[in-house]
Amino acid sequence: MKPVPVPLVIVALAAVGCGEKAPEAPPAPKELNVYIWTNYHSPAAIARFEKEHGVRVVIDTYDNNEVIEQKLQSGTAPYDIVVPSDYMVVSLARQGLLTALDEARLPGLSNLDPLLDWGKTNSGPRHSVPYLWGTTGFAYRTDKIAEPVDSWAPLFDPRFQGRVVMLDDMREDFAVALKSSGQSLNTTDEALLRAAQKRLIDQRPLVLAYDSSDFAGKIQAGDGWVVHGYSGELARVARESGGTIRYVLPKEGATFAVDNLAIPTAARHVDLAYAFIAFMLQPDVAADTTNVTGYPTANAAARPLVLPSLAGDPAVFPTAEALGRCELMQDLGETTALLDTLWTEIKAR
Amino acid sequence: MGGAPAPREPGPGGRVPPLHPSPWLSSPTLLLLAAGLVVPLALIFLDSFRLRGVYGGFTPIPDLWEHLASGAFLGNYRRATQGIYLLIFWRSLWIAALTTALCLLAAYPVAYWLAVMVRPSRRPLGLLLVVVPFWTSFVVRTFAWVWILRTEGLVNNVLLATGLADQPLHLLYNPFSVLLGLVYGELPFMILPIYAALERLDRSLLEASADLGAGPLTTFWRVTLPLTVPGVAAGVILVFVPSVGQFLISDMLGGARTMLAGNLIQNQFFGGRNQPFGFAVSFLLTALVLLILWAYTRLVKRGRLEDLL
Amino acid sequence: MTPSGEGVLPRTRTGVRPAVRATRATFAAYSVAIYAFLYAPIAVLVLFSFNAATQTAVWSGFTLRWYRELAADEAVWRAAWVSLEVAVATTVTATALGTAAAIGLRRTPPLVRRIATPLLVLPIVLPEIVMAVALLRVFGASGITLDFWTIWFAHVVFCVSYVVIVVQARLAGMDDALEEAAADLGATRWVAFWKVTLPQLWPAVLSSALLVLTLSIDDYVVTSFVAGVGNTTLPLQIYAMFRKHITPEINAICTLLLVATTAMILLAAVLQRTVRQPRLPRKGGPR
Repeated sequence: MKPVPVPLVIVALAAVGCGEKAPEAPPAPKELNVYIWTNYHSPAAIARFEKEHGVRVVIDTYDNNEVIEQKLQSGTAPYDIVVPSDYMVVSLARQGLLTALDEARLPGLSNLDPLLDWGKTNSGPRHSVPYLWGTTGFAYRTDKIAEPVDSWAPLFDPRFQGRVVMLDDMREDFAVALKSSGQSLNTTDEALLRAAQKRLIDQRPLVLAYDSSDFAGKIQAGDGWVVHGYSGELARVARESGGTIRYVLPKEGATFAVDNLAIPTAARHVDLAYAFIAFMLQPDVAADTTNVTGYPTANAAARPLVLPSLAGDPAVFPTAEALGRCELMQDLGETTALLDTLWTEIKAR
Repeated sequence: MGGAPAPREPGPGGRVPPLHPSPWLSSPTLLLLAAGLVVPLALIFLDSFRLRGVYGGFTPIPDLWEHLASGAFLGNYRRATQGIYLLIFWRSLWIAALTTALCLLAAYPVAYWLAVMVRPSRRPLGLLLVVVPFWTSFVVRTFAWVWILRTEGLVNNVLLATGLADQPLHLLYNPFSVLLGLVYGELPFMILPIYAALERLDRSLLEASADLGAGPLTTFWRVTLPLTVPGVAAGVILVFVPSVGQFLISDMLGGARTMLAGNLIQNQFFGGRNQPFGFAVSFLLTALVLLILWAYTRLVKRGRLEDLL
Repeated sequence: MTPSGEGVLPRTRTGVRPAVRATRATFAAYSVAIYAFLYAPIAVLVLFSFNAATQTAVWSGFTLRWYRELAADEAVWRAAWVSLEVAVATTVTATALGTAAAIGLRRTPPLVRRIATPLLVLPIVLPEIVMAVALLRVFGASGITLDFWTIWFAHVVFCVSYVVIVVQARLAGMDDALEEAAADLGATRWVAFWKVTLPQLWPAVLSSALLVLTLSIDDYVVTSFVAGVGNTTLPLQIYAMFRKHITPEINAICTLLLVATTAMILLAAVLQRTVRQPRLPRKGGPR
């Protein structure tokens, strides 16, 4: 009996599957390629956009800014919309990787909160539109720390040896060391950076783990008692914990970051990208995005439409005064090399 | 077998058909590997001598001759051989070696049991069961150990509930959990080659050994083990190499407290924005790995890497 | 060789000696413990896909919520489809190329083998991250847009060697006499391959195909560097979800993956049994 040509069957299946992805002409004008942080959008809003414009939105995700830079630099990935953080926008714009935006095509810009529209203060064309933002403070367990807390001190307190969790992020950790010593987190002064490095090295015995993804889980599970992390995640577990976990934006100040919609120069569907940004600037869409993701919107007109549980949460929407003590991260240019060496020395002990 | 074939007579068709498959069959694969590996590696090797750009790309070299003559082109390599980086290499190699040793000790008995003691009809099932865990996401099944080992994790919950401990044990974010995760992830790669070598073993040799009066341990040590060396060596390579360059496991289960070679390389392509240095570190790491493997195959009886294939 | 093929343990008239039975039992117990070790996280994984709590390892009630969320999560299904496409394409290509290479290398001049062997061993001894950055660099330098085909290419590159090794190992143990006989009977090389070599090689081909499928479907490092627009594979998607916000939906994905692949393997096993391979003449003459 002849053997059933199983290999041929497999080949056939593969051919059918692969046929869809044969190299083709530029994509039909009915598609928008979006590169955005994971869980950083409202699926309902996207679906609405798709219906209103009769297009398909393809969403790819990433979890750190540098990946955007890489992909755009290598010229290998033609996204129409990317969502870099503020300092990354500056860097990308300087490299000519983002198109200057025609403000006339974006009437919704007036909806933005001026405090958060950081790009407007710079001279020159606008390269991005603020989308969502957040702060990087820390959360602590009220069942382990009775006294009120409002500064970075607990992260350096020997009482919490093995119970501190820091982000696994060079800039963020240096920011903690610098801000808690009263310095700017954007300093390029080598002496100050080395002092900050020493602070972080001395902190090592206290640190249970460096983690940029499961920090919220660690405080929830009780592994960590004082956990450095992003406001969106920590505010969420704080709300869910019913008071056991509290988020703090320290009085010395912290980093805050604004994530922005931008159009790469390599984008293939520029008109559609503009339509997407204009759509996101609508108050109801912006409010919906905040309600779904838990991150605050940069859209002032949307505030009244945000869920009260979020709007009234100081962890999500800090006061202007608290925000005033925070700094945006700026690209450090040449100093990045020094910082990387210092960070390696901290981690390689 | 092997060696020049004896001259043969024409077949029924009157021709002498060629006996062997065309050697050209291997050319697509070799070309693919040349294009997909050799060329890219050569490219990044050249890149490792370049200068980093401020935004993570490259800075054009102002004066090529000067760059070469002054030895500046070795800048990245010189940096990568400084104390702190050598320490990182050493740690990565040491952890990988430890993982390999543990895997070998843990895997051999299982492979032996499967190949020698289990009924032949049941063996495929046994092998399949070894491989099936790989059909879930590597990231998630590694992270599952966090659920098991953490302060309020499974193990501690059970210990506390049954009263075997009154304080939760600190089982996570230390070298123990990292090794556990590494061994866990690599164990099947050690079991399978050793199984393959054992399965092909000529049993009559073992029977002969027993007939000659050797006890089971002697038989194992002097007959079985030496004969399965190729399988062991293959397993060692398959476990050691990935362990050296890994970073996910040490991050997830070790709390990212220690920077290893994989982390270092990854950093250069993201926050560190220093591709040339990243390439230099990659090459140094690869060179170290190859050196170790070469030394290992020298120790192993046959002495040549090719004989393992 | 003992008729049952059961191995080397000596038998006496009275059956297997008790000491030997104890040895066998010890080995079995140890191996079962290792299997338990291999499956412990899997069991936890599956169990907690039904856990009502968002995150912690504390059981707070049974729910199918995460499966419902998964069913509605388009991004995951798209990623799963991409992964499957890549894996199937990779498996077919790598298995075909690798088998051909193994056969072709069987009798090559030493010079060719001198070049071929290091080349073949290279993907295995090269740390994945080095391979990943090298590939990205070369794609960028040659202006190739990252897409499905770049992933496929990268996967085949790092998988093909495994096929060659597995098939070569099998070939080494094979008897040439059958092929010689076929040739003597007038079979062309192709016919000899298809009717004599391949059936004998089949287990090796199949197991290497399975290996490639596994490697491709679960690959994270290389794929993360060379995936392009709209080509997020499942490991990338899972990792991204994991980095952002860990919920048991991830557990649900993995449980489904497990179920799907087990089903696939069972299907393959059933297919295998119904597909009969050509019987080779027994030793000692025709039936």
